[in-house]
Amino acid sequence: MANDLAVSADGLVKLFGQRRVVDGVDIKVPKGSVYGVLGPNGAGKTTTLRMLLGIIEPDEGRRSLLGQSHPRDASDRVGYLPEERGLYPGMRAREAIAFLGALRGLPWKTGRKRAAALLEANGLGHAVDLKIRKLSKGMAQLVQLLGSVVHEPELIVLDEPFSGLDPVNQERLEKLVLAQRDRGATILFSTHVMAHAERLCERLSIIAGGKVRFEGTVDDARALLPLRAHYVPHHPHAGVRALLPADAVERDGGWRFIVPAGGIEPILAQAIERGYGISGLSIERPNLHEAFVKIVGREAAEAGEPA
Amino acid sequence: MSLSRGIKQTMTIARRDFTATVYTPAFLIFLLVPILMFGMGPLIGMGASDMVRNSQTKQRLVVIAAGEEATTIRALDQYGRGPTQSGNGGLPTLRIDAPQADVAAQARALFKAKDIEVRAVAFGPLDHPTIFFVPEARGLATYLSQLAEQSLRAERSGGPAPLSHATLTPVTPEKASATGQSQAAFFATLTLFVLNMMLSGQAVGTMAEERGNKVIEILAAAVPLESVFLGKLIAMFGSAVLFLLFWAVVLGNVAKLMPPAMATALAAIAPAVGPAFPWLFLAYFTLSYMLLGAVFLTAGAQAATPREIQMFSLPITIFMVLMFGFSLSAAGRPGSWQQIASEIFPFSSPFAMVARAASSPELLPHLLAIGWQLLWVAITITLGARWFRRGVLQSGSPRSGRKRR
Repeated sequence: MANDLAVSADGLVKLFGQRRVVDGVDIKVPKGSVYGVLGPNGAGKTTTLRMLLGIIEPDEGRRSLLGQSHPRDASDRVGYLPEERGLYPGMRAREAIAFLGALRGLPWKTGRKRAAALLEANGLGHAVDLKIRKLSKGMAQLVQLLGSVVHEPELIVLDEPFSGLDPVNQERLEKLVLAQRDRGATILFSTHVMAHAERLCERLSIIAGGKVRFEGTVDDARALLPLRAHYVPHHPHAGVRALLPADAVERDGGWRFIVPAGGIEPILAQAIERGYGISGLSIERPNLHEAFVKIVGREAAEAGEPA
Repeated sequence: MSLSRGIKQTMTIARRDFTATVYTPAFLIFLLVPILMFGMGPLIGMGASDMVRNSQTKQRLVVIAAGEEATTIRALDQYGRGPTQSGNGGLPTLRIDAPQADVAAQARALFKAKDIEVRAVAFGPLDHPTIFFVPEARGLATYLSQLAEQSLRAERSGGPAPLSHATLTPVTPEKASATGQSQAAFFATLTLFVLNMMLSGQAVGTMAEERGNKVIEILAAAVPLESVFLGKLIAMFGSAVLFLLFWAVVLGNVAKLMPPAMATALAAIAPAVGPAFPWLFLAYFTLSYMLLGAVFLTAGAQAATPREIQMFSLPITIFMVLMFGFSLSAAGRPGSWQQIASEIFPFSSPFAMVARAASSPELLPHLLAIGWQLLWVAITITLGARWFRRGVLQSGSPRSGRKRR
């Protein structure tokens, strides 16, 4: 089992002063998966990732990165995009990517070749020899991301990779993440934007207040909330209300209610039997955002909403 | 992690920093800074010298005498000054005034003259002359008294013409003198200090770049901080060596134009260890640069703003001056506890040992010192990296008794 995990953390604790910023976090990231660490701002996501990578040391707990208990021993097989983006402004894009690769053991010459190819493949062919200070924020961010994958790492850790990107670059980044997964890499990323997690993640952890509040698949998270039905009778009648659960509300020309434990079929059968008919019916699954709000609480979730 | 991997990572950092430092117009300015220094020195010197010369040309020594006595005194003054004192910068010009009725009043009046600055006046009989002088010119007053003595002797022996005619022949010593070795020790220590002053201080702001543009997070994730620190020091050292090579070539060519007399004088400043000296100097320059550079780097790494960098660099510069002063004063007391202490204390050790290389021929102490200083380079870098990790990356040390990996 341990061999199937790219990352595992067991009871990680980090104190800044007296404050337990991370409080007993457990994470298990299967190899080859896209794994999300979700949470509102200040939840402890970045600190957890920094501990996993060995940038800072945990005060308690164990961690393992690609089978190494000392993260530094696996550093050449890891790519990392930190939350606070950073590149040397005087470096050219190709050199910057090659430098990031060289830090992870990739020869400069190979790094330069790969950098040019990666920039070309990601729509930045024109920027190969441009200095970083000449690039837009989004372009520089993409260059840094390419620098974190240029050495073809087994594990890619991305801290809030989508923040600050326009929709076009967000889509480009999503494609890049999926391409890396298809190559066989494991991707661990943190975000507080649920839409990206919903589209990309196979498994996720939701962290709030330094603790893991949920761990599982996106579907598992959604399943924490009941299904919702939107029923539009063919012949609207006051009697319809009596057939529906107590929480049903009339809206959008029909009725909205939570699907009861016994399912919706008995309700529909009675509606047909009484002649109200069915003009429209949709069963809505709650999205990840709603599940997130339920897990972390509305106040915390709103604190994490993107501006 | 293997040693070769660590070296590779260190050199990756060094390479980036070196190219970022050297391939900039600012480096050209840095390279040419000594021109400003050497250019300003003579300019200031010339200005000061002109001021002194102007004041000296107005200075006068006056003897109130007449007749044969006056002639003898003038002749003896010209003979006694010799070739080195006849021009500016030596004794003030001697003026001979004829005596008036009240000689004492005449002498006092001379000090009030507007067009000249009288320093001392002699009058009266040669066997009991009276000499007035301004308080700071006691030496000149003594000179006038000796002039009176010699004049009296010349009168009694038949005239002021010299009786002895010496032959002056310069001889170059075959081995370095103790004075030459002392001078070599002083110059070596001074040169090492000036080089460090100019070059190792550059390290103070290097981590600020990484902190400012957030690259430090990427470096810290990929490379041990010790490698980051060492890589940065090596890069700065590389640019310092480039600087030294440039100026060594320039000064090497200038030396070819040096007058033979000056070359002979410089040859007398010979270090005791002989031909090993340049290598020892290079080793101590490297180690002092690394030691002091590591201190600068460590302190600078804690700084978040340029203002803080300036605040940090001042006490370290003072510390460096203290180390220099300590080593220099200890070098002047061979065998004393001060000398031993300055050689053992890691941050003064390179300065003290380079002085020792100039004044003492044993080589073994240098091997020990180099090993000792290398150890302290490692200790300083390790402590600096830990301090940075704890202070800047906010990683507290694990609490005792708690389980962690």
